[in-house]
Amino acid sequence: MTDPAVANHLAQTMAAPLASTKMTVRDLHFYYNGFHALKGINMEVPEKKVTAIIGPSGCGKSTLLRIFNRIYAIYPKLEAKGEIVLDGENILDPGYSMNRLRSKVGMVFQKPVPFPMTIFENVAYGIRHHEKLSKPDMDGRVEQALRSAALWDEVKDKLKQNALGLSGGQQQRLCIARAIALRPEVLLLDEPTSALDPIATSRIEQLVEELKNEFTIVIVTHNMQQAARCSDLTAFMYMGELIEFDRTEKIFTKPGKKQTEDYITGRFG
Amino acid sequence: MSAIYLRRRVTNWIAIALSTLATLVGLVFLAWILWETLRQGISALNFKLFTSITANGEDGGLANAMVGSLIINFLGIAIATPIGVMAGTWLAEYANRTKLGETIRFLNDILLSAPSIVMGLFVYTIIVLPSTVLTHGSTTFSGFAGGVALALIALPVIVRTTDEMLRLVPSTLREAALSLGVPQWKLTMQILVRAARSGIITGVLLALARISGETAPLLFTAFGNNYMTLNPIDKMSSLPQIIYQYANDPGDTMHAMAWAGAFVVTMFVLLLSLGSRLIFSRNKVSHD
Amino acid sequence: MSAQPGTIAPPMVVEQRTRRDARQELFFRWLLKGCALLVLASLLGAAGATLWGGREAFAKFGWHFLVSTAWDPGNDVYGALVPVYGTIVTSLIALLIAVPVSFGIALYLSEVAPAWLRTPVSSAIELLAGIPSIIYGMWGLFVFAPFFSAHIKPWLTNNLGNKPDDGKLSWVAQHVPFIGKLFGSDYPFGASILVAGIVLAIMIVPFISSVMREVFQTVPTRLKESAYALGSSTWEVSWDIVLPYTRSAVIGGIFLGLGRALGETMAVAFIIGNSMTFSASLLDPGTSIASTIANQFSEASGLQKSSLMALAFLLFVVTFIVLLIARLMLRQLKRKEGN
Repeated sequence: MTDPAVANHLAQTMAAPLASTKMTVRDLHFYYNGFHALKGINMEVPEKKVTAIIGPSGCGKSTLLRIFNRIYAIYPKLEAKGEIVLDGENILDPGYSMNRLRSKVGMVFQKPVPFPMTIFENVAYGIRHHEKLSKPDMDGRVEQALRSAALWDEVKDKLKQNALGLSGGQQQRLCIARAIALRPEVLLLDEPTSALDPIATSRIEQLVEELKNEFTIVIVTHNMQQAARCSDLTAFMYMGELIEFDRTEKIFTKPGKKQTEDYITGRFG
Repeated sequence: MSAIYLRRRVTNWIAIALSTLATLVGLVFLAWILWETLRQGISALNFKLFTSITANGEDGGLANAMVGSLIINFLGIAIATPIGVMAGTWLAEYANRTKLGETIRFLNDILLSAPSIVMGLFVYTIIVLPSTVLTHGSTTFSGFAGGVALALIALPVIVRTTDEMLRLVPSTLREAALSLGVPQWKLTMQILVRAARSGIITGVLLALARISGETAPLLFTAFGNNYMTLNPIDKMSSLPQIIYQYANDPGDTMHAMAWAGAFVVTMFVLLLSLGSRLIFSRNKVSHD
Repeated sequence: MSAQPGTIAPPMVVEQRTRRDARQELFFRWLLKGCALLVLASLLGAAGATLWGGREAFAKFGWHFLVSTAWDPGNDVYGALVPVYGTIVTSLIALLIAVPVSFGIALYLSEVAPAWLRTPVSSAIELLAGIPSIIYGMWGLFVFAPFFSAHIKPWLTNNLGNKPDDGKLSWVAQHVPFIGKLFGSDYPFGASILVAGIVLAIMIVPFISSVMREVFQTVPTRLKESAYALGSSTWEVSWDIVLPYTRSAVIGGIFLGLGRALGETMAVAFIIGNSMTFSASLLDPGTSIASTIANQFSEASGLQKSSLMALAFLLFVVTFIVLLIARLMLRQLKRKEGN
């Protein structure tokens, strides 16, 4: 790793102490149509840190992320076994309310998916479902969310325009604004820059750096540089198993397992 | 060149020539039908057609039939659209790949080309007969019954387009909304239906085009009425029904009026299908 | 963000909202399902209503209803054979003409025509499908039937029929069985089973050709290209590669057209002549199930009405079966495409 920005970042994460645990995954198995996709995952996601999950495609990293807010449950024949404890409660428990889970855990997807409505409505839409706000309060909340997503200055004069008119990078930041407008505690990012150009990508990475002061962030990425640049911890997954999970600095400089080393040095995947 | 080679080339030429000929035959008949409708229809058009009613016979017009057609078509679409959109939504969003869903989707495709006259008899049995019995004969055939019959014909068209259009909406949109904690019914009605809106509108317009030329199911439901009426529980005339009646009349004046009516119906239907095509192609461009 | 982080509402409120969501969701789901079941209900209802309406006729005539040519309101005796014969024969004529023409059109549009011509020509052909059936009826009655009776019918009766104008039987009528009967007629007008079949053919061509064209396009390009690479001609690729590959869907498209032809009412009612007397000749007037109902139902009562309902039930069942086969055949291709 010779990139100075990366080296600098890694040095910082090395120095910072790990915070308390936000979410604990215990012996998590996942099956679809009988296929054993995740095999006994155990990990602890620390609060207000960025945790990156890397691995070759098909390793189960996106699957793992999609269990954290149970979005997988909208498809039939998928089954998760084990525990994911968020603030002391198991979110896989059928009694755990979906409303509560989805308001605590926000998600941003690979491709920007703005709703077919105005920019303002895109952000306000989710809030409306959870809270009744007066017009000025709502305006404030939307502005706050757009500011947090570093989008406000670009869209403040066209809030009433259709969100489909924004550029790809702007759309993705709008989706981030939409997710954080609900004030979640955990933010899941599923390869959020894979459909974006390099400039838009670096803006999103910058944003992630800022957002970790407020949220616990889990980011899935196929881009190792990205994991190195903006995460505090990195999990390496392979064939449905969690091979190694440690501080990003350690994973990228002194990986503990042979497979991890092979992957990050580009020998496979 | 060998004989085999020559024979193969000749066969190919003949096949190409015949297929071109088949296309030309199709186009010639299209042109012939449209030309006759335009020629005979336009020459029979006059102002009185739109102001006078059929009770005046040869000196009259088609005003009551035109108004009746509008009312019956409106009723048909007004009944079929909400039901069709909801049924199509169920197929696409709730029952995709379930047994019942597949069965209904399959049967809906059959209903799409089921004989319309049987649908007319069905509505006759469930609406005209009971209303005759219940009102002791004071209400029998009605514009409303005609509307229901047309709704049954429009329904499968709307179900199918809604179903297809919703299945084109990317599933990421569903996931994005669900990850905000929005319940599925809100997601469906407020986001998915909106995303598929222009496709669904196209389906409704196509359904309207389909029913506005329908005659058979109206014969025993709306029946016909030589006077102007706006009341949907009265017997009601429609353009296709008057065209049928006038075309079977021996008088040339009546034939001319039938042509004029045919011209109006054809123009209406063709403009509708043209319009729906425009909406849909514009929609396609904006999404790419 | 300055506001408090964490959950935005106390758990109790969340629970209430969850229950409300679940209630609304359940209601919505059943509402949609109810609408979808209406599709099912209208099919079953149409079959049930006509069966119920035709119960007297079925009870009175039994199986004899199907094979009797009687249709005599004076003596209250009814049989289905004349309209059933008319329906089947007009539909068969329609298929006989429409299938090769549709195949030609689909071939032209998918393999022969230059690219710039394909869209306008296929839109024009599809336009034919959009024209209301009553317009076909009008055109058939006032334009095509007179044209037919002036230019085509005399040739047919004189050269093929057993009742030529000059009384001299042609060689064909003497030597080929049935032909003479099929084309023999002394009915002076154009309206006939043959004309109805021809008009039906024009009506179903756009349906069959658009299905054929659609399924021809599903043939993988590599398959066609490898045949062309072997030196095959356009015709050989179409006949040896494209057609076998899409056979079941092509048959499905043909059955779809047949289903349309069987149930078509108005166009046929205008031009078939509406005669309840049985005649084997294609040039004589006849009737179809749908046009019989259209012409008689509003003035019928009692057993006649019931017989018309029974006819409608027969028509519905037959078209249902034909369309069922069509859709099953077409579905096979969809499955192939999916894999």
